[in-house]
Amino acid sequence: MAPENLISTGIIQRDETPMEKEVVGRCRGCFSLADVMYFSKKGCEAVAEDEVTRRFSSEELLSWNLLSRTNANLHHVSWKLAAVWVTGILIRYCLLLPFRILLLMLATTVVGQFPNGRVKGWLSNQVQMICATLGVRCLSGPVHFHNRENKPQEGGICVANHTSPLDVLILASDGCYSLVGQVHGGLMGLIQKSCMQTSQHVLFERSEMKDRHLVRKKIREHIADKAKLPILIFPEGTCINNTSVMMFKKGSFEVGGTIHPVAIKYDPRFGDAFWNSTKHSIMTYAFNVLTSWAIVCNVWYLPPMVKEEEEDAVHFADRVKAVIAARAGMSVLPWDGGLKRKKVKESFKEEQQKRYCQIVIENGSVGNGNVC
Amino acid sequence: MGSAHSVPAEMRELADRTGFTSEQIEHLHRRFKQLSQDQLTIRKENFDSIPDLEFNPIRGKIVHAFFDKRNLRQESDGLADEINFEDFLTIMSYFRPIEMNMDEEQLERFRKEKLKFLFHMYDSDHDGKITLQEYRNVVEELLSGNPHLEKESARSIADGAMMEAASICVGQMGPDQVYEGITFEDFLKMWQGIDIETKMHVRFLNVDTIAHCY
Repeated sequence: MAPENLISTGIIQRDETPMEKEVVGRCRGCFSLADVMYFSKKGCEAVAEDEVTRRFSSEELLSWNLLSRTNANLHHVSWKLAAVWVTGILIRYCLLLPFRILLLMLATTVVGQFPNGRVKGWLSNQVQMICATLGVRCLSGPVHFHNRENKPQEGGICVANHTSPLDVLILASDGCYSLVGQVHGGLMGLIQKSCMQTSQHVLFERSEMKDRHLVRKKIREHIADKAKLPILIFPEGTCINNTSVMMFKKGSFEVGGTIHPVAIKYDPRFGDAFWNSTKHSIMTYAFNVLTSWAIVCNVWYLPPMVKEEEEDAVHFADRVKAVIAARAGMSVLPWDGGLKRKKVKESFKEEQQKRYCQIVIENGSVGNGNVC
Repeated sequence: MGSAHSVPAEMRELADRTGFTSEQIEHLHRRFKQLSQDQLTIRKENFDSIPDLEFNPIRGKIVHAFFDKRNLRQESDGLADEINFEDFLTIMSYFRPIEMNMDEEQLERFRKEKLKFLFHMYDSDHDGKITLQEYRNVVEELLSGNPHLEKESARSIADGAMMEAASICVGQMGPDQVYEGITFEDFLKMWQGIDIETKMHVRFLNVDTIAHCY
């Protein structure tokens, strides 16, 4: 097997030799017992490790960042490291946490003092930005913005990869956006309701089919009005753990208009920003974030892209996705983020079988059924 | 808090029996916990959560193989309802690559074990023979995705393959002789001289992802 066909993952090194090369080997157009070997090997690889499920849990780090939640197996190695870890705990829980909570309370009370009735555009934008900046300071997150000249100036759709609700906070501290998002309950719902008061956001229910058309209509209307704020959309549709970019849903790319891609990459050494909504509630997540070392991230504003004439929405979405992934240094996966909650569609399985059939049976006619 | 230098006794025993290193066993244990959702055993339903497995045409047979008692080196026959971590490792060990320090006898035994695993995948009724019907089943499963393929074509492929197998194993058959099925010895004969080691192994890495501190 040529070295370039092996891709390194955590537990296993996958063999990416394409099916054609592996199965054909001896002769085209004939079936062989060995073909079952190829598929059973692929099956074993999938059981040992699969690319998709890995993205829905926190990234495994090569070198520990002294947060016990990042290390699945705690073993004792030396007293020195243990002492450092305990000091770390003291600092994080007794120093950073109260300080940040205090700052958070200050932030909310100060902004709350603004007079309620004045919903003049400029003032409410400033309020939003200050709010977000204070929020980001609470997390002691040095955020590095690159290529600010590419920031969306007037209208348009802003598209970014999604890791956590903090993405919104970070982007909002540097510019004003209208948001499109899933309706949440609980604390998150309260936050959303209060945001709705300052500017025009679009909220929907993920499972509602009718809602999707409605949302698309609203987005179209929104960007048609140049005076409105640019819309911020996360086409992955769910939080991914920041090591790869998953399938971009084509909905937002069909609407037309200019797309401003933004790449967001968190530094995992200081804290884990990924929100595993199936595992943690927003409160647990907030607590985790407030007790990490810091949330450090890099934000790159990429040059605007427009859909070409003959291009279809899916292809355009893939193009944007590739640009974002390349900038942030993440891998590209064609899988749907919805797999976090749903199962794989039947059509994927059939695709694989069709390919195999084509190899074994050439041009729709049966080979001579040789065992090779 | 980093990697342990002392390995618990049961881990060492597992390592000896299955041939994995202790780091690989730890990795696989984490994977096991992920699949079983922190339970002690895995059931068939847990394999539904692996998207990569979904588009494998012989998915059913692979999952079946994990629960097949013959593969679990238990004396009894039939299917287990659930498997624990040890069983999981046992099945995974069938896909280990050959090691440099294996001698002739070990190599031969290893190869035989892999072929036996494959044989069990074909022989779904556990009678020790691959009959024509079982062979057809496998071919149909592999080729079922193609809408242009009629059942007849899949059958004729299987039939042709069986005839070929018969000629290798039994030699020339008389017109009224019936070939009952491929036994394991015949199966081994068919594979003589063919190198399966590279086809049927998964490269397990030796990466240690836990920090060291000096």
